[in-house]
Amino acid sequence: MGVLSGFFKKEGWRYLPGLVFLIANAALDVVPARLLGEAVDLMREPVIDREAVFRTLAYMVLAAVGIFLTRTVWRSFINGNARRMEMWLRNTLFTHLQTLGPDFFNHQKTGDLMAYAINDVNAIRMTFGPGFALACTSLFTGAFSIFQMGAGVNLRLALACLIPIPFLLVLIFRLGRVTRERFRRVQEAFADVSDRVQENISGIRVIKAYAQEEPEVERFESLNRNMRDTNVSMVKVSSAMSPMVTFIFGISFTICLIYGSHMVRTGQISLGDLVAFNGYLTLIIHPVQAVARVTNILQRGLASLKRYAAVVETPPTVVDASKNKHEGPLRGEIEVRDLTFHYPDGGDAALRGVSFTLRPGKTLGILGHTGSGKTTLCNLLLKLYNPARGMVAFDGVDIHDIALDTLRSGIGYVPQDNFLFSATIEENIRFYAPNASREEVEAAAKRADIYDSVMEFPDGFATQVGERGVTLSGGQKQRISIARALVKNPRILILDDSLSAVDARTEQDIWQALRGVFAGGTSGIIVAHRVSALQNCDEILVLEHGRVIERGTHEQLMALGGQYAHTARRQESGEEEEEDA
Amino acid sequence: MPKNRRGLSRLLPFLKPQGKTLLLCLLMVLLVNAAELAKPYILEIVIDRYLTTGRPDQGLDAVWVLALSYMACVALSSGLNVTEAVMVNRMGQSILMDIRRRVFTHIQHMSMKTLDHFSSGRLITRATNDVETLNELFSDVLVNLFKDVFMLLGIVAMMLWMNWRLALVAFAVVPLIALITVLVRGRLRRNFVRLKALTGQINGFFAENMSGMRLVQIFRKEKEKHDEFDELNFGYYKAARLQVRMNSLMRPLVEVVNQLGIAILVWYGCGQIGLGTLEIGLLYAFTNYIKQFFEPINDLAEKYTTISSAVVSTDRIFELLDDETQLEDTEAGKPLEQVVGRVEFRHVWFAYEGENWVLRDVSFTIEPGQSVAFVGTTGAGKSTIISLLSRFYDIQKGEILLDGRNIADFSLRTLRQHVAVVLQDVFLFSGTIAENVRLGNHEITDEQVGQALRLACADRFISELPGGMNYPVTERGSTFSAGQRQLLSFARAIAHDPAVFVLDEATASIDTDTEALIQASVRNVSSGRTTIIIAHRLSTIRHCDCIYVLRSGRIREQGSHEALMALGGIYRKLHDMQIKDS
Repeated sequence: MGVLSGFFKKEGWRYLPGLVFLIANAALDVVPARLLGEAVDLMREPVIDREAVFRTLAYMVLAAVGIFLTRTVWRSFINGNARRMEMWLRNTLFTHLQTLGPDFFNHQKTGDLMAYAINDVNAIRMTFGPGFALACTSLFTGAFSIFQMGAGVNLRLALACLIPIPFLLVLIFRLGRVTRERFRRVQEAFADVSDRVQENISGIRVIKAYAQEEPEVERFESLNRNMRDTNVSMVKVSSAMSPMVTFIFGISFTICLIYGSHMVRTGQISLGDLVAFNGYLTLIIHPVQAVARVTNILQRGLASLKRYAAVVETPPTVVDASKNKHEGPLRGEIEVRDLTFHYPDGGDAALRGVSFTLRPGKTLGILGHTGSGKTTLCNLLLKLYNPARGMVAFDGVDIHDIALDTLRSGIGYVPQDNFLFSATIEENIRFYAPNASREEVEAAAKRADIYDSVMEFPDGFATQVGERGVTLSGGQKQRISIARALVKNPRILILDDSLSAVDARTEQDIWQALRGVFAGGTSGIIVAHRVSALQNCDEILVLEHGRVIERGTHEQLMALGGQYAHTARRQESGEEEEEDA
Repeated sequence: MPKNRRGLSRLLPFLKPQGKTLLLCLLMVLLVNAAELAKPYILEIVIDRYLTTGRPDQGLDAVWVLALSYMACVALSSGLNVTEAVMVNRMGQSILMDIRRRVFTHIQHMSMKTLDHFSSGRLITRATNDVETLNELFSDVLVNLFKDVFMLLGIVAMMLWMNWRLALVAFAVVPLIALITVLVRGRLRRNFVRLKALTGQINGFFAENMSGMRLVQIFRKEKEKHDEFDELNFGYYKAARLQVRMNSLMRPLVEVVNQLGIAILVWYGCGQIGLGTLEIGLLYAFTNYIKQFFEPINDLAEKYTTISSAVVSTDRIFELLDDETQLEDTEAGKPLEQVVGRVEFRHVWFAYEGENWVLRDVSFTIEPGQSVAFVGTTGAGKSTIISLLSRFYDIQKGEILLDGRNIADFSLRTLRQHVAVVLQDVFLFSGTIAENVRLGNHEITDEQVGQALRLACADRFISELPGGMNYPVTERGSTFSAGQRQLLSFARAIAHDPAVFVLDEATASIDTDTEALIQASVRNVSSGRTTIIIAHRLSTIRHCDCIYVLRSGRIREQGSHEALMALGGIYRKLHDMQIKDS
């Protein structure tokens, strides 16, 4: 598997000493049984040679210590290396995910990505650690034991006793397959239950509002029952595995008892041989049993590796400029020329022939329906996707010739979804500019009109947000996002429909502050649904299906009487307008 | 909250009705153990009576008989083993189903006030993963625990019975095993807990970064986030490596002790055999017993982890189930029938917590069929009014009346049937569109669903979908726009034909076309019904019979749009701000 070559080149050598010690361990494993047999034979002599018996016993203890040492060493090497691999896999995955663009994340559920990082990585580790080791020990211990049975004791006895084993192997494979299939159904049943519970809890207000508690319990009950049934059906086969092994080995032991006794009585083998033989037969129980487990681990591991590889081999969406032709901070001039863009997964063009020029300190407004291409335009300006060469330039330098650092650190971006990290409010605001002073953080918070709200929390700026922290309203989150963008005094500010969740009054206050920012020479791109948010922009574009259908100042567009004016009139006068709509 | 008995004893009541099954299983376990114990004994007899005495002409039939009884023991133990495992599991799964149902039902009946304090993740874990942990307890531990314990006791008894002196010698290594187990297992367990906690952290970090990846990239924080992850990942590796090392040591060490035990046994036995007080077969049987002895010990130690996580999960499950103060009884009180829709708030005071009044002395009356609106800035208490009317929360002072009767007197179920609420965040369930309109109410016919969709102006976009109203809703309706989801939730309200309709207007941006549909839809819903609109955009509510302006939990202005405009107060200001934009 190609994805693992990086790891094997660096760390793969550790498997070699591991394997050497493992084979030594397997060879030593059969020794105590042999020695016990010898001791038995020594004790059968009319006059017991005590010294010889004690010597045998000493060897036995020595062999035990040898087994202990070799086993400890190979386990450390192989299982330890698998843990190292686990770390490497997770790290590689995370690093790679960081290079993938929004189109990747839009098509993947977060839950699936988590499954890659936890479950799949774990399954791969199991394959290259315990699974690999189990396969090897089973193989070698089994081979050494069988060899000893045949060569060290008696070939005929060995063959007679091993007759049932191939049948057992076939049965184990079959039973293993059925168990896996039923286990899959158990997992599906569990996933169904989880999904239902999750959905139910997310929608609990609706359920309560419509007094749907009892029907919900009924709906849950059928999934619940299904979960019990699938589990019982799996147990029926899975619990048969180990007794089946015991039973069939029981046949072997019975053969050994009858045929072996006969051989002892006729003097073909000694009693000690029979004892040793019994010991060898016991030693191969585990290897045979391991067959099912190894197949299981291997299958899961390979499936996981395939999923993992698919993610890690997804080509990075955006590559950094090979040489940076833009020295130092952006000045705030944007030129977009005839920008046409298709998303990598095909479909219609998301943008067609969009052109505009934004001078430093000017503002550009963009109005359009959902799906008109507004967010795509923002994504392209931030180089989250690759526009074709020659279509987007900052300060006269093509976007592909600007280092990502220069580009993105020059733009303050406020997204539509107000994602905050589980950290303090201050850390969230400082996210953009780690070196910002406390004063700068506070100033940004004031400009985003969130300062007073923050100070109302008991811990102020040290208040924890997210999962374990306080719950913020949508409006509060938006304002913190704005403060986060403002704290670094960016030369370009992009507001991607960022004021939808604040009430009219707060919106006013924020605009007031933002006007100050723009007056200070920052260029702005403002995406909005509401005309009121756009009317002060120096130029306004109206997008529809990725095309600019109208452009101009507020006054010009109103005079034009097109889409913009229509929307504006509707929003201004509210319902009167809809009467005839 | 009273501290009840803790731990696994809480599961006993579930086992009680299964007494007979348990007894039967126990009986089988005893038989299995007896069969297992008989196996080495048979070997002993074969060796000592027929192999060492050296009379080849005798006992061939006897060996056959013994060998076949050996086989019979094997067959008995494996057969009973399967039967017992299936029985215990069937019982266990039924109990788990019962627990799962109880947890789920409990969550359904938790009051909003309690739910506010639980993260959804915690509740989901209770109903799924915690119960799943108990699954291991039932399927793995319960099946084998008794077997292991009886096996240990059986082996000890058997050895003492066969030769007590030799038995005592054989037990010489037991303290050593105990010592190793205590020393290593404790650390191993602590490390295991740590490993689990670290997995949780990695999980959380990963989840957050996946959702926030776009931001990380835009803000060029890839390196910082990667370093953070690296540290976490390395911490996990260190704990895992310790786990590997201790495991590499622990298991082989137990095996060494096992070999050591056999060597001591043979060493002692050698002397006894020389004296003629011991026979080889017995010695050999003892080496077998010693091997059998270590298996249950290892097993029991392994099960310890399962048991301790099961204890944690049981505690967590019952902590939830025991607290009945969290519940609301939807059936308590008189059933509410035939509602005309007169809503009255009389001097209502309400706080979510303590004295943090969200509503202060709010009074108003809405006549049947009227439409009223509440406006005010964020935090003024608008949305709270909805929650109170559905009695998601109980008020501290005052009265809320429906048709002149206090809503606290009626059962929650019937009250909520008459008050339909459309929340800001519309929630759609997986299922079809029709199911989402109908929810669990099967009395609503397909025609009524269709009618509701038409009145909600949702029919146009639905007719374009394959399958129409049987079109599946996936992933909480993410394939629909915010506006479309809103229309569907109106249809839901219309279909349930409530006397009072409450709308918490969505703040999410909705494009102007859909906005128009929503307005038309609202007019359809509100015709002939008492309607309360919590407005965020003033344009929606001009036609309302009365508009209440809330500020800091008090009603500051009220009247029609024209009256309030004429008044020139807060409403006028809000209005001017939205319309004219300074």
